[in-house]
Amino acid sequence: MAVAGGGTKAGLLFKGPRAASRESYERSPWRLLVQIRLQTARILRGWSRDVATTIEALIVPIALLFTLDIVLGKAISQVSGESALYGSVPMVAMVGAMSGATVGGIGLMRERTDGLLSRLWVLPVHRASVMFSRIAADAARIFLTTVAILCVGLLLGFRFRQGIMEALIWLCVPVVFGLAFCALINAIALYAAKALVVEATGLLYALLMFFSTGWVPLAQYPSWIQPAVQHQPLTYAVEAMRGLALGGPVLAPMAGLLLWVAAIVAVCAVPLTNGYRRASMRG
Amino acid sequence: MRIPTAVRPAPAPWQQWWVLSGRVIRPTLRNGELLTPPAASVLFTIGFYIPLKQLMGNFLDGMSNYAQYLLPLIVLQAIAFAAVSASFRSATDAVLGINHRFGSMPIAPLTPLTARLSASVFRCSSALLFAILCGHVIGFRFYNGAEVTTAFWLLALMIGVLLSLLGDLVGSATRNPEATSHLLMLPMLVFGLLSVGVQPVEQFPGWIQPFVRNQPISQFIYALRALAGDSTPAAGAVNWSVIGPALGWLVGTIAIVLPLYAYQSSRRR
Amino acid sequence: MSNTDKSVVVSHVSKSFGDVVALRDISFEVGRGEVIGLLGPNGAGKTTMVDILSTLSLPDGGSAEIAGYDVVSDPAGVRRSIMLTGQHVALDDMLTGRENLVLFGRLQGLNRHEARSRSDDLLAEFDLSHAADRLISTYSGGMRRRIDIACGLVVRPEVAFLDEPTTGLDPRSRQSVWDLVADFKSEGIATLLTTQYLEEADALSDRIIVIDHGAVIAVGTADSLKERTGGTYCEIVPRNFKDLPAVADALGELLSDKSRAVLTSSSDRLSIPAPDGATTLAKALLLLEAAHIELADIALRRPSLDDVFLALTDETISDIGPKPSSAKSAR
Repeated sequence: MAVAGGGTKAGLLFKGPRAASRESYERSPWRLLVQIRLQTARILRGWSRDVATTIEALIVPIALLFTLDIVLGKAISQVSGESALYGSVPMVAMVGAMSGATVGGIGLMRERTDGLLSRLWVLPVHRASVMFSRIAADAARIFLTTVAILCVGLLLGFRFRQGIMEALIWLCVPVVFGLAFCALINAIALYAAKALVVEATGLLYALLMFFSTGWVPLAQYPSWIQPAVQHQPLTYAVEAMRGLALGGPVLAPMAGLLLWVAAIVAVCAVPLTNGYRRASMRG
Repeated sequence: MRIPTAVRPAPAPWQQWWVLSGRVIRPTLRNGELLTPPAASVLFTIGFYIPLKQLMGNFLDGMSNYAQYLLPLIVLQAIAFAAVSASFRSATDAVLGINHRFGSMPIAPLTPLTARLSASVFRCSSALLFAILCGHVIGFRFYNGAEVTTAFWLLALMIGVLLSLLGDLVGSATRNPEATSHLLMLPMLVFGLLSVGVQPVEQFPGWIQPFVRNQPISQFIYALRALAGDSTPAAGAVNWSVIGPALGWLVGTIAIVLPLYAYQSSRRR
Repeated sequence: MSNTDKSVVVSHVSKSFGDVVALRDISFEVGRGEVIGLLGPNGAGKTTMVDILSTLSLPDGGSAEIAGYDVVSDPAGVRRSIMLTGQHVALDDMLTGRENLVLFGRLQGLNRHEARSRSDDLLAEFDLSHAADRLISTYSGGMRRRIDIACGLVVRPEVAFLDEPTTGLDPRSRQSVWDLVADFKSEGIATLLTTQYLEEADALSDRIIVIDHGAVIAVGTADSLKERTGGTYCEIVPRNFKDLPAVADALGELLSDKSRAVLTSSSDRLSIPAPDGATTLAKALLLLEAAHIELADIALRRPSLDDVFLALTDETISDIGPKPSSAKSAR
């Protein structure tokens, strides 16, 4: 540490606004937005520097998309009459959202054990800023990975056959689905032990993936399981996106997706907010 | 009398192996990790079989049913999943520094590895068992005699050892547990899909067929299919031209990996 | 906002975790610019106390005020006034030192320009400019501690909580933390310093509060605490331990009854109270010379804070009653 004269150094160390002028920081809505923006930037910057996140959120889905196209593309287009990409690209976008969410959840657990959440709790910031910044960061991540996956899809032959408006909504559907999934994962992450989260969520999203119409068309499933396949959230999302890109029913699957999202968020909201507080405080 | 004065016992390798294996296995009995290989087996079975059964119905290469065709891939995916968990464990060891500590104790360099492998084999066996059970449910049967069937199980377990070894090596080298387990899930899925496990070679685009036909996973699957047999001769005959390549990959990879591992753990000292 | 001149007021605070009583009826005060050392073994309740005062935890009973703000009813006010650094709070490992400083500055209300220039100043002050743009995960232990403290000083606190700030640091880094505490003092910032290092509490604190098993067992300056265990004494070691009874006789009334009582046949030295310091030593020396007893050593000894601490916590064990055996071995 630089050894200067006591008076100068001390003055240097302690300038800055004093407590009284920062009276409203924890409650002001305007400052909340600023705090959310700052913390979102922090999270995104950290993710962009972390190899695991990049691999999980970007490389895995892209490789999966290529593989699915190679392996099942021909068989599915023979059977359904249209390119398999209209199902697989949305599905892979959702898979990307979900695997990124898993890594995000693990990161959240690490921040809890390291004490960073406590550090942020002790700052004079709005109590909800931590949670909202996490949500915003997840949304940004999902949007970016969806765009990347879309680019790969375009390379493989995916085309938007409806309008610009539909294309934009198409890009937003994975964000909506992904945020619900993130709420679930983060709620679990704030309460659970590590290995369990990784393996259990891996199994969950593999299950959702295998039994959605993004994998193979609905008619290919045995009739006894078709209702389950048809009504699960990933299928609704895929079908909504198929309708937006290709043409076909959009409102019905969208409604189904939004119902699922609302239900998941309703279940997770309270544990999630309590979980952040529990994870930041120490008893 | 805080400082031990008795003569220092000579460590017996077998005892060390037993203790270290227990160290890895015991927690799994408690925290539910033991549930995941069976769960993964079930998942892979229903995830591959149910959606694809109808689609692939016409492309069975002459085999009797899709269950018979698909099972080797299910077995391999389940075992690979168990092996990935092994890599998770070894990476955690590397991160926590226990490997380093073991390095300074009178433990033969390969003993911790063998202990972890034993634990992985334990998990792989449970995955294998459940995969076969699930296969039985969807219609898979063993058609050859007891000897050949035993060869099937042995080959599957050896593949498990190989994958565990690979996973362990990668895990110790990268030192980042979460990144490692996800790093390995991907090749697992991609290699599995880009093989003859799901559909015959002819169903693939021409440019990738040579890769599909010759990659090790396909070779393992050809071998396992032949060993399991079928009501039709389409599964392949049990002879060296079918089983040979699989064994070649197995032995060759282990021969390369073991010295690599020894080199790496000695380098860390 | 209040205009009390006490920065920290703790009043009958108690806290339990299930069956374990972490804090029982703790009260103390810290004035402006005072440095209080909170001393105690592991598990004594120091960290719990700091948690309560920094709003990371809620007390079960009693009240506490920081800079006039109540920790329960106005935690926002508390958070505006404190800085916290320690073992169990951390920074973002995936950001650089500079990014962390700017983040903390902007979160606490500085605009972009102010936050940047403030972080530049702090980096220079804490000798971290060369590492400013490296990730914190690559920093050494001493550097991490410095950047941790720097992040707490981006805006001016009224009260600083330093939770075991020099644990695991090399002597140079430790000295720089000590210098910092001196600066806090001259700036009028109250400091609550938790430490296991007795010489640190001795060197830095105006007052020391000794906590054991959740209760305050002593409060006072380092000197007054040392006095409590008997003050200065003079230790005499005869060359031949068989001469000890002769020494005892020669010293006569200089030797207190207590000191005489602890002599056994296997003692090789004895101690006499030395209220007059060197004068007592001179007297003893004269008496012993007159008795022609050869000495191996004679010296004035002050009880260290170690002795104080061990003595005080020994008393706790007998005062408060039987404890689980882990209590003894924890020491």
